[in-house]
Amino acid sequence: MHIQIMETILLMTLVTYGARVLPFLLFKGNNVQGYVRDFIELVPIALLAALVIPELVTPKGSIVILHNPYLWAGISTFLFAKFVPNLFLGIIFGMIVFWGLDKLLY
Amino acid sequence: MNDVTSLDVNRGFTYGLRQSLTIAIGYAPVAITFGILATQFGLTFWEAGLMSFFVFAGAAQFIAIEMLHQGATVWMIVVTTFIVNIRHVLMSLAVVPFFPTRTLAWSLALPQGLTDETFVLNARILKDVVGEKNRRRVMLGINTGAFTSWVVFTIIGSVIGKWLPIQFSGFQFALLALFIILTVTSLSKQNYVTYLLAALLAIVLKLLIPGKIYLILSVTLAAGIGAWWRKRARSREIEQQYGQTVKLE
Repeated sequence: MHIQIMETILLMTLVTYGARVLPFLLFKGNNVQGYVRDFIELVPIALLAALVIPELVTPKGSIVILHNPYLWAGISTFLFAKFVPNLFLGIIFGMIVFWGLDKLLY
Repeated sequence: MNDVTSLDVNRGFTYGLRQSLTIAIGYAPVAITFGILATQFGLTFWEAGLMSFFVFAGAAQFIAIEMLHQGATVWMIVVTTFIVNIRHVLMSLAVVPFFPTRTLAWSLALPQGLTDETFVLNARILKDVVGEKNRRRVMLGINTGAFTSWVVFTIIGSVIGKWLPIQFSGFQFALLALFIILTVTSLSKQNYVTYLLAALLAIVLKLLIPGKIYLILSVTLAAGIGAWWRKRARSREIEQQYGQTVKLE
């Protein structure tokens, strides 16, 4: 086992578990209200956008539309998931469509 | 009497475990992909398994093995992980109110299982579970199901990756597909403007700033502006309802 990888895993655990456990240790359970609550509610959807959309539109560092298997596989997966609400099938669908488009477009 | 008891038992750990099944099955292809990529990027199957066991955060793990492969330093990876995973504070904050009288042991155990997927499921299900004790067990069940699947299928994936030199470009899309499906279930009339704003900001900032800083910047900005917009819309509503009184001020 590489020391560097074990170090990485340890520190990743520290920051990730830290982020998960802190609210449980610091807060009694009072519900937050107002602006903070709205902010918290909107973070997950904003993160999904930030994680997905740049990868679909700029996979190689600049904007590509036509010859871009990421973009078209992304749109297909989105539509598929709208009609077939199944996590497993959706992921398999996305992977196969991406693979097919990747072969087709390159 | 007997019926009541069995109903209580049903709304416990096993109930949560059963509810987690869709996530557990959905995680399988993503975790297998992670295992395969991790071994192809030079990790041993122990290292891949340990990472899934301790970190248990899909996006961060995929980004980390890619960065390791590219020769990034430990600190670059840790800072990136911090940026990508800081959102867990918010998810954790949102479930804390379900457990006002928890013990320290529960405080330490329950949040480890929080991921984007288990958070959405927990938030939906815990609302309808009566009693904090039951809620703790249900959440533990949901988290355990998802966690077990993630770890076991990571190991299966890394064993496959070790012995079969698979070349399948679809792997590159597994995590994105997971997030896209999550988007379909989370997008609503109340949040789509924030979604579009975050998407636009993320594209622009990614093109402008090297590294992964664009993630935290675009998320904070978009959620911040979105929340401000909601507040404004709310006060306008009040103004319309009590137009006269407000004007008097």
